Amino acid sequence: MTDSTGAREVQVDGSSRLAGWGKVLGIFGLLVAIVVTTGAMNPRFFGAENLENVLQRTALFGIIGIGAAFPIVTAGIDLSIGSVIALVATSLPLLLDAGVPAGAAVVAVLLLAAGLGVIHGLLITRMGLQPFVVTLCGLLVYRGVARYIVDDQTMGFGSDHDGLRSLATGRPFSIGALDVPAPALVLVAVAVLAAVFLGRSVWGRWMLALGRNATAARYAGVPVERVTILAYVICSLLAGVGGVLFALDVNSVQPASMGNFYELYAIAAAVLGGCSLRGGEGSILGVVLGAAVMRLLYNSIVLLGIPSQLEFAIVGGVLLLGAVADEVVRRLAEARRARERARARTERTT
Amino acid sequence: MHHSARPLLAVLSLGVALSAAACKPSQSGEVRIAYVSNGVDPFWDVAAAGARAAEAEFGVDVEVVFPSPATAEVQQQKVQDLLVRGIDAVAISPVDAENMTPFLDTLTERVHLITQDSDAPKSKRRCFIGVDNYEAGRACGELLVEALPDGGEVAIFVGRLEQDNARLRRQGVIDALLGRTPDATRSDAVDAALAGNGFTIVATRTDDFDAARAKSNVEDTLVKYPELAGVAGLFAYNAPACVEALKGAGRLGEVAIASFDEQDATLDGIEAGHVLGTVSQNPFQYGYESVRILKALCEGDESVLPEGGTLSTPPTVVKKDNLEVFRAKLKADIAAGSGK
Repeated sequence: MTDSTGAREVQVDGSSRLAGWGKVLGIFGLLVAIVVTTGAMNPRFFGAENLENVLQRTALFGIIGIGAAFPIVTAGIDLSIGSVIALVATSLPLLLDAGVPAGAAVVAVLLLAAGLGVIHGLLITRMGLQPFVVTLCGLLVYRGVARYIVDDQTMGFGSDHDGLRSLATGRPFSIGALDVPAPALVLVAVAVLAAVFLGRSVWGRWMLALGRNATAARYAGVPVERVTILAYVICSLLAGVGGVLFALDVNSVQPASMGNFYELYAIAAAVLGGCSLRGGEGSILGVVLGAAVMRLLYNSIVLLGIPSQLEFAIVGGVLLLGAVADEVVRRLAEARRARERARARTERTT
Repeated sequence: MHHSARPLLAVLSLGVALSAAACKPSQSGEVRIAYVSNGVDPFWDVAAAGARAAEAEFGVDVEVVFPSPATAEVQQQKVQDLLVRGIDAVAISPVDAENMTPFLDTLTERVHLITQDSDAPKSKRRCFIGVDNYEAGRACGELLVEALPDGGEVAIFVGRLEQDNARLRRQGVIDALLGRTPDATRSDAVDAALAGNGFTIVATRTDDFDAARAKSNVEDTLVKYPELAGVAGLFAYNAPACVEALKGAGRLGEVAIASFDEQDATLDGIEAGHVLGTVSQNPFQYGYESVRILKALCEGDESVLPEGGTLSTPPTVVKKDNLEVFRAKLKADIAAGSGK
């Protein structure tokens, strides 16, 4: 039973994965365009220091973006990411202040995050609530809890936890002049695991199948409930990983503002990278590139001396241009294929 | 059947939640004062401690409100809700001085209104309690002038520029650096080329209160201007973000940092010699004086109103030499507020 489902999914995958690669190439093109433009206008862009900065931020936002991709692949959504980040980021220094050892504190907050994912999954599958509603309530509840448990105080690590902070601020090794930021390694590990899971494992294929057609997946024997719950657990867990790294990186956690709107950055990275909001389609590499494009845009705005006020307009405008260009290229390619097919047909008939 | 039961259940549970959350029973007869911040920040915790200390001393009922997200709409809605609950007086730090003026004026018809921390000078508020933000900005700029006798490139970091206090501080910093004569009405555009007295203002970057953005703004500015000699952080978290960014770039100590307010990380930075100093606005006094003046106004005593409508609390410049005294006072102030 399981085997036949798997086999069928592989077949369906063939076409959708091709479409996915098109999107990945599209976002890669946009990334190259931003890099070349910014680099040409300000050569300091290519300096090791700046590349490290961009890598660091891409890693942080890439991790939460990969998380966001999983519910999206199942045709769901998780809006609670930013608040999970806030809750985890405030809980971690709180536990450390209470004398909990660093390792145990990190594990505890990650378990907390994963537990929130379980709750989301159960509410969506068992209670039949809409993912949008469940995670929107999560967004509100976790933000409120985060603010309440620390009484709106700004939390930080002072200078007592430099060892733990090196998880986010460390530079474990260098490639030439470039000191690779530690979170970039976390991103690579997460991305490889996620890509193998989604593309190669039975559970990953079930997830894609569920997103494409939930009813069909159910009839084909996919354990829909457990697969859905898993998607939300992965998302919240990665939001938790992001929360830990963000907190360690900035060393100043204001529960009311920490991670505000980060769910939108995460979802945007996922969708830019080729995840369809209708579900059933997604590429982890694309998500990482999507996160990189967003961070590069913010970086180049400062490097090119564009006023802060124009920031959102520039980011929105460039992303829209990218989406339009992607669609135009896709249509041109389709038209060419149609012409070739027509020519082949006429050649066969003559 | 259980479809119709669902909304009922929701209403019931909401009712239970709300009655559990209503922390304070209304104490009729006492003057009720709302103390409204412009966001959430440790700065406001100190100010709230001042309000709480005055609450105990003057026997009034103080409601402290921290709007979040810190937007004009949220702030307005919070005050409207408080009006419905019944309050006699409001002390507020308007998020958007210009555009909230009509709203503030309608408020004055129903309650005694004063502004604190950031003013709305065109509104009908009875008075403003706060530091002269322009002068405070100049004091912040002077820290850089003192540390950088040869001048150099300076960048300014701030949460947002819509607020009166942010604009005035920025202008104060710029005017002090460029050695201009004091003029609080001056207003330089964000992208204006500003140079003089050996200093060049290379950028003013806003972050909308996002700590990660505050840090990345500094990092990117360091890349764009490798010769950067100094930075000024105008909101409480900006200087700590500068410290983190410089630390990450391995350039701590190479770029002078001038700060505002008294976050722990800022005071630690002064102690370690990474931050030149910080301009403290004495937020405890904001809270304390607001409650004192509003209570008197509610009782018909107008003599408390300051001359010219502004009660200026003097800014304190905290440097390494007066750091310990300042820390001790801060600790005592916060203890006084939590005594109730």
